[in-house]
Amino acid sequence: MATDFWCSSHYKRWIVDRATLRQTRADDLLYVDDPEYLDFLAIYFAELVAKLGKQLHLAQRAIATATVFFRRFYLKNSYCETDPFIVIAACCYLASKAEEWPVHIKNVVSDARRVFSQEPYNVKNFPSDNSKLAEMEFYLVDNLECDLTVFHPYRTLLALCKSVDGSEDPSAVQEEEAGEVGVGLSAEEGPRYWGTGEGQLELPPNGLQTAWFIVNDTYRSELCLLYPPHLIAIAAIYLTCIFHPATHETVAAVLASSGAAAAGAGGPADPPPRRSSRQAAERKKPAQDPLAFLAELNVSLPLVATIAQEIIAMYTLWERYREDGAPEAGTPAKGTPDSRRDDEPGPGGATVSPTILTAVLTKMREARMQDYAHQLQSSGRPVAVNRMLERTQAAG
Amino acid sequence: MAPTRILPRNTGFKPIGQNSSSLRKFFPGDEEDMDASSDLSVMADPEPQEIPPQSTADNAIERPHLEKPMPIQPTIGPVNEDTSLLPSSPLAPSRGSSVVMEEEPSEPTELQTARLSPQLQTPRQLDLDTNDTGASTPSVQTRSELYAILSQVGEGTFGKVYKAQNTVTKLHVALKRIRMESEKEGFPVTAMREVKLLQSLRHENVVRLYEMMVSNGSVYMVFEYMDHDLTGILSQSQFTFTDAHLKSLCKQMLAGLAYLHHKGVIHRDIKGSNILINNRGELKLADFGLARFYQKRRRSDYTNRVITLWYRPPELLFGATIYGPEVDMWSAGCIMLELFTKKPVFQGNDEIHQLDTIYRVIGTPTPDRWSDVANLPWYELVKPRDEIPNHFRDMFRKWMSQPALDLAERLLCYDPAARATAVQALEAPYFTQEEPFAVAPAGLATLQGEWHELETKRERAKKKRKNDIAIQ
Repeated sequence: MATDFWCSSHYKRWIVDRATLRQTRADDLLYVDDPEYLDFLAIYFAELVAKLGKQLHLAQRAIATATVFFRRFYLKNSYCETDPFIVIAACCYLASKAEEWPVHIKNVVSDARRVFSQEPYNVKNFPSDNSKLAEMEFYLVDNLECDLTVFHPYRTLLALCKSVDGSEDPSAVQEEEAGEVGVGLSAEEGPRYWGTGEGQLELPPNGLQTAWFIVNDTYRSELCLLYPPHLIAIAAIYLTCIFHPATHETVAAVLASSGAAAAGAGGPADPPPRRSSRQAAERKKPAQDPLAFLAELNVSLPLVATIAQEIIAMYTLWERYREDGAPEAGTPAKGTPDSRRDDEPGPGGATVSPTILTAVLTKMREARMQDYAHQLQSSGRPVAVNRMLERTQAAG
Repeated sequence: MAPTRILPRNTGFKPIGQNSSSLRKFFPGDEEDMDASSDLSVMADPEPQEIPPQSTADNAIERPHLEKPMPIQPTIGPVNEDTSLLPSSPLAPSRGSSVVMEEEPSEPTELQTARLSPQLQTPRQLDLDTNDTGASTPSVQTRSELYAILSQVGEGTFGKVYKAQNTVTKLHVALKRIRMESEKEGFPVTAMREVKLLQSLRHENVVRLYEMMVSNGSVYMVFEYMDHDLTGILSQSQFTFTDAHLKSLCKQMLAGLAYLHHKGVIHRDIKGSNILINNRGELKLADFGLARFYQKRRRSDYTNRVITLWYRPPELLFGATIYGPEVDMWSAGCIMLELFTKKPVFQGNDEIHQLDTIYRVIGTPTPDRWSDVANLPWYELVKPRDEIPNHFRDMFRKWMSQPALDLAERLLCYDPAARATAVQALEAPYFTQEEPFAVAPAGLATLQGEWHELETKRERAKKKRKNDIAIQ
């Protein structure tokens, strides 16, 4: 089976470990005051991709793909040596094509100019020429090694669980959003690979929606480079069981009742014959135990727990990332971004805004440019001059 | 053995964490005087691969024209592939011949040296490379020299197809160049679809995409090399196919389609030149430039401007935009007949004439043959004027056996819902009961030359030119 994840370039080439990921930021680390800014930049860029993507009316899946393209591009390049803004535009444009969500190049250029020229980004030199974007797209394709199929957690989410919202049925929309069947794990192939094949987990109203939003949020981190998407989906379901009130209630209820049952009967009734369990499930639905469902999946639960931890860590970091002008809840009052930057060179526990990050990014890029110029003076030119001298001397 | 296994995987591959020097050239553009620094980056870069050996290679490609004593030299200039193909004014004959010379392997020595190299200078390349053309010396094993182009073998939906040789393994491959410079919209969507589809498909009856390669401003798809295509091989007379061979070809085509449809892919351009055959007698489906993933459960709206006219099913000619894999099965039926008759069966000039041609063979569609026909968008516009009876069996009896006729008839069924699927077709008595059973035409290895539609067309064009000259 060639369309499945395990045979894909996504799995074989584009899942990296932490050490590699750290290594790819080595150049940027030389030019940033506090390494934590790089983590914030990861959020900052994801927000920008999402902003431009929404402006272009891209599907969530296309925005997710654009974000993954962006992250993969920066596995091989550094922020300080490139212009992340045109890279973002190219990622959105390429993703719109790769996900069959076509937008015109002209619109990408004009929308990108509009979005990026706003405060706090203030990018005034974004090329107005379509060919510049087309050219960047070419380099992007080159750097992505023509691997344009990206797997996302959304399809796993839909394969594993369903919402019991009686009224509206968002699944049709989400089905559309999750992508064409052939691209990913198709519904009939999916469960056999990593599931138990024993039906889907039923989440209370909005439970699936919550898991869906958690998945959306994971793109603000670099998790998509570190872990396979189906594990991220499972971690999102797990977190839904904890954070989503209605889902948490069912989990708590099941835990309580199973605790009581275990206390009472001592367990032998636990593995009943299949048929009767199904009948039981039909009789009273809430009996389904989400945690047991997750436990039965053929995946590494410690790994899922790790991912869940990393998602929580991302949220903790994101808490401190605040759009400019957004009300600040619970944190001590702060001065203007500039004055604070003077006070403390690093973010050091305080909140960070796009304005600050734009300044950090600009500073990084300028410092890199200066170094270039410096290298040029110290080594580049003289060599050329010397060669010319040698040549003239030889001729003379 | 795939050529990719020999050299470091994927020629375009940069180890993660390393910078791309081509990009470095792109980005410092924020500052005007970064030319020199990009020079530096080239010098500092230990990898020679970004340095295009362009000046020499370009000369090699253009030399044929320049060496030829041309009467009107200035207008010929550096021949641009697009414009040179346009027959223009009084110059046409001389230009035409020079182009043929360039493209045909008539001078293999010249072409051997023409490594995969920029034949067309895109504006951006000129921009980027002006600085280092002088300094760069083409090194021995740049990635652009991994493949040496031998000849052109075809014209795809979005670019030319070349036969090339891996300079290390000596294996032949087909290189399909994705045209970027003519695309105002950047990377062509059709190419992207084909890449994504082929990367996810693997079947003995679907052409293998070995790898993707980026070289000097172009993206190349590297395919396994196939010696012939169906149109070409049916037009030659050296090798005669037995009934067992034809059955094998038909079966392989259907097996390929069954796999595609199982994978949720509609090919949408099944025709002779997209069906490739190698000297071992293996048949593979190619050119997925029009193919799409489709939702198995839900029918989606697509364009009906797909499939080459002669192989286009009646529902598309009647304007249907909601369709599924059945469209491929009609084309397969056309191909099946073509295997026996050696030429396309329904050769219409336009949509209306195409329907007429079909009516004349299998009769006009009636409500009992095709209940939904009257509901199709263009039915009132193109519906048959007179009723024509079905002559199909009378016309093809002399070529085909009863079971073969039965299967062809089920593939060329008017009603898409009743048309045989690829899996059903493979279970037909033609394959499972009738003797002789399928035998791959392995004897093709003895065949002289390679037969592609392109060569057949050229041959025809050459003859026509000769005739024209003779008439003059």
